[in-house]
Amino acid sequence: MMTGSGTTIRAGVPGRVYVALALFAIVGPFVWILTASFKHQIAIYAGQFPFTPTLSNYADVLFGRRSDFAGNIANSLVVAASSTALVLIVGALAAYSLHRFRWPTWVSAGFLAWTLVFHMVPVLTLLGPWYVAFRELGLYDTRAALIVTHVTINLPMTVWLLRTFFREIPPEILEAAHVDGCGPFDAFRRIALPIALPGLIAAGILAFVFSWNEFPIALTLTSRTTATVPVAIARFAQQYEIQHAQMAAASVISTIPAVILMFLGQRFIVSGLTLGAVK
Amino acid sequence: MIANLRHVCNLLVAVAFVAAAPASAQKAFVDVGKQPDITVLIGSTPWYPAFEKVVGLYEQQTGNHVKLDVTPFNSILEKARNAVRTGQSPYDLMTLDTQWTIEFYEGGFLSPLTDVDPKFVMPKEVLSYGDSGYWNAQKRWRTSDGGKLMAYTPLGNVQLLYYRGDLLKQANIAVPKTWNDVLASCSKLAKPPSMYGFVARGEKGNGIRYDWQSIMLAEGAQVVKDPEAGDYTVTINSPQAKAALDLYANLLKRCGPPNYGSLGQGDVIQLLATGKSALGDVVTAAFASFEDPNKSLVVGKLETAPLPAGAGGAHGAVIGNWNAVIPKNASDAQKKAALAFSRWFLTYDAQRAYAEAGGIPNRSDVFTSDLAKNPKYRWMPAYLETMKFARQELGYAEGAQVEQILGLRLNQALIGEMSSGKALNTAAQEIEALFKKNGRRTGMLPPLPE
Amino acid sequence: MRDAAALPEMTPQRRGARVAIGQLIDRSFRYWSLLPAALLFAALTLYPLLNLLRMSVSTIAFANGAEVWTFTPLRNFEALTTDDVLRPAVVNTIVFVVVSVVIEMVLGVALAIAVAGLSRAKRWVRTVAILPILVPPVAIGSMWKLMYNYDFGIFNQALVALGAMPVNWLGSTSVALASVIAVDVWHWVPFVFLILFAAVEGIPPDLLEAAHVDGATRAQMLRFIVLPLLRPAIVVAFLFRAILAFKVFDEVFLLTAGGPGTSTELVNLHLYKVFFEQNRLGYGALLSLAVIAAIVAFLLVSSRVALAVRRNGHSG
Repeated sequence: MMTGSGTTIRAGVPGRVYVALALFAIVGPFVWILTASFKHQIAIYAGQFPFTPTLSNYADVLFGRRSDFAGNIANSLVVAASSTALVLIVGALAAYSLHRFRWPTWVSAGFLAWTLVFHMVPVLTLLGPWYVAFRELGLYDTRAALIVTHVTINLPMTVWLLRTFFREIPPEILEAAHVDGCGPFDAFRRIALPIALPGLIAAGILAFVFSWNEFPIALTLTSRTTATVPVAIARFAQQYEIQHAQMAAASVISTIPAVILMFLGQRFIVSGLTLGAVK
Repeated sequence: MIANLRHVCNLLVAVAFVAAAPASAQKAFVDVGKQPDITVLIGSTPWYPAFEKVVGLYEQQTGNHVKLDVTPFNSILEKARNAVRTGQSPYDLMTLDTQWTIEFYEGGFLSPLTDVDPKFVMPKEVLSYGDSGYWNAQKRWRTSDGGKLMAYTPLGNVQLLYYRGDLLKQANIAVPKTWNDVLASCSKLAKPPSMYGFVARGEKGNGIRYDWQSIMLAEGAQVVKDPEAGDYTVTINSPQAKAALDLYANLLKRCGPPNYGSLGQGDVIQLLATGKSALGDVVTAAFASFEDPNKSLVVGKLETAPLPAGAGGAHGAVIGNWNAVIPKNASDAQKKAALAFSRWFLTYDAQRAYAEAGGIPNRSDVFTSDLAKNPKYRWMPAYLETMKFARQELGYAEGAQVEQILGLRLNQALIGEMSSGKALNTAAQEIEALFKKNGRRTGMLPPLPE
Repeated sequence: MRDAAALPEMTPQRRGARVAIGQLIDRSFRYWSLLPAALLFAALTLYPLLNLLRMSVSTIAFANGAEVWTFTPLRNFEALTTDDVLRPAVVNTIVFVVVSVVIEMVLGVALAIAVAGLSRAKRWVRTVAILPILVPPVAIGSMWKLMYNYDFGIFNQALVALGAMPVNWLGSTSVALASVIAVDVWHWVPFVFLILFAAVEGIPPDLLEAAHVDGATRAQMLRFIVLPLLRPAIVVAFLFRAILAFKVFDEVFLLTAGGPGTSTELVNLHLYKVFFEQNRLGYGALLSLAVIAAIVAFLLVSSRVALAVRRNGHSG
């Protein structure tokens, strides 16, 4: 909506060849995982091709006696969707605030530096304190704990990313809005956010993906009933052997709701902002 | 709500079971009475399905409920640490890899089983697994001599020599009795790249350390002189250890695949399961997957023998068992319930059911029962034989650090970054420095020629 | 883009009804806009960070089921200076970060510009192009390990089929790190692409149209309009890619566990072993701080390099 395809630089032949090659390289290993998901373990071991396809891995992952996979996906959907929505709201507000309002340097630079340093901290060292804190709060083994922590770990990237998009907004537009009697919050909602739409979508996808695949925190703060998809998939990496076939099937299954939700989420953001702008 | 429903279901199932089963079938199991629900921390391992089945049997028989928190293997330790370090433990029974137990014993995080119930005695048929379930706090050593009973073994793994019965027969080669036999026969059988002679782990870290130590023990070498008596003199740079390292490197270089320096457990199992290797040094627990046609091209073809002997005729194997423990910060009623389950689990019938479900039982009387004659359990005699000489290794607080030192230096010797003498000298110096820093009585042998 | 004049007018009635709340929200907007983020960060990061600092100068032992802290800054520092594995780990980490991040940035930026220039199916291409970051890291490590397998892996099967010699991807000290980097590139080019694609889409089209009207060639437009406009997004992508590259764990852990020898030993892998496997919390915490300091130093150096390159570019 912000840009028509005719207004960017058209890809020439080298560009198109590059896209094709890149997609091949990106998709190739994914297709390999996809085929592995239809193989028996021994066919994977022996690198057999062609092979007799089987659905048993999917059946085992979804309906096996030990499987909680449907529950794991539900947990992941709730956690990733909620934490993404929250981090976009909190992050967009903060990024806009830091850019637009004249905060003293120690506040703006301090906040940005703090988020960046936090992002550098090895997650391993956060697990202990967070485990203790959420147990004390009675939030251990809840999805709420996971949502809050995922918002926290994804906030640095969201703020920094959105900040670059807000910085591109010409100040005259916001000034003009102010003259027109548009309050600061309205200006944020109706002008800044729609302009930053591509950034919001990118930040949203990244926050979603990082929450969807986040393993160490999810492992620490959940048990069997609240476990998310990555924890479930890690169970296939067993002590002596990796159950590659089931792991491949589980990975394929796990990407499907993620892709769907990303599509829906994009549409939701776009329509939400369009409404906000037109109202 | 759902939990309640499940409970009702379990009761119904239990009633059905009791009604259907002949009364005599249950007698040998122990009656533990009604117990509160317990939660068990357990790893995602190949033997987990067997354990789950036996737990299901327990629930059916007793109406007691057991919640299993199945955790990825690499994360059990973290969950166990979190559980015991804060407030009340979410787990009432935890299964720990034997290497982690020292930390928990020494840290005072666990209730000795005899504290939970002074009347508890370990059935005499249960294998000792190198006394890994006992902790003597004075000696800082796992021993039943003056030690308290802290744990039992829900699964005892040990390495076995796997060999292709068919290939050996064809080539008219006897089952190797010594490591030198292994070298001789694997050299004959190896026809790379279509067939390798022998595979074992060469991967840096736990892999090479654990597999190599079997040969080290067979050659009569030790890492430390007498840790039980407090003598931490480092003896890893002995001529015997060097002989063991040279032999191990020889085996892998001559008979293994070209990527011998990075072979992990998965690779070793893969090479055996695809019929790419004639011999291999692998855990007992892998046996079941070699017999599963979905996972193996060599169903019915792999046989097992105890790990071979060294030059002096002695055998060596390192036990890699799991230990079931009760956290100190669980409530008393929960602890009692956990112990009640354990008493049931340690009965002959439970262990037999466990074996039939694909687990490795811990009672010698299961190994000597009619089960061992069934070809499906043909690994049992080799396992029981191995248990006579297998032992625990690195049973001190510095175990994880020593493993990392050895795991790196052995690997460097294997891939030729260092001579075997230099690798062992370096490891010895590093281990000695570590013990010294921790205030142990230590020292080291004169260095090997490099 | 919308200009202010195009904003729809509100009816007076609605404005009257909402004026009180609206004014309150608006007047305090400056404060409450930053508040949620600041509160969240204060609540969840302050304590772990302080705890980390305290741990880094302590030795933590366990007795009778409780932690025993002793103040031992020198002991931890000595452990840092005498840690033999650290030197190769630092060297490998620098190689890993520089090589993988540079490749990912170049490929990712190029892909973003190329895809934005397609006339159709952009959104589908974007969805397909980000598939790798959707795969759980544990699966990435496990699956690539199979693909790299010497005897049965797809790469060696292909090489042998083409009549070439198989490559010892993970078992040779000279190849292993490159193999690990290749997986990282596969995994993370989509990350750079995603951010940069959004930035390309955010470029005001009139700028490009004006340039086009002025007769600029495609290369000139890229060089003088697109790339300068993408700079902030490139910086952010680089920043976060570099930080995450320093913290790489799952893939390397599963692919090589740092071997053979020390050829793929990385600082974060070593940290895991110290902090987690060896349970040395004090030294582990100090090592974490060292990692943070290293990342900061790396970012500062990178910004210098970027500045120098830009100056050279202008003068030349």
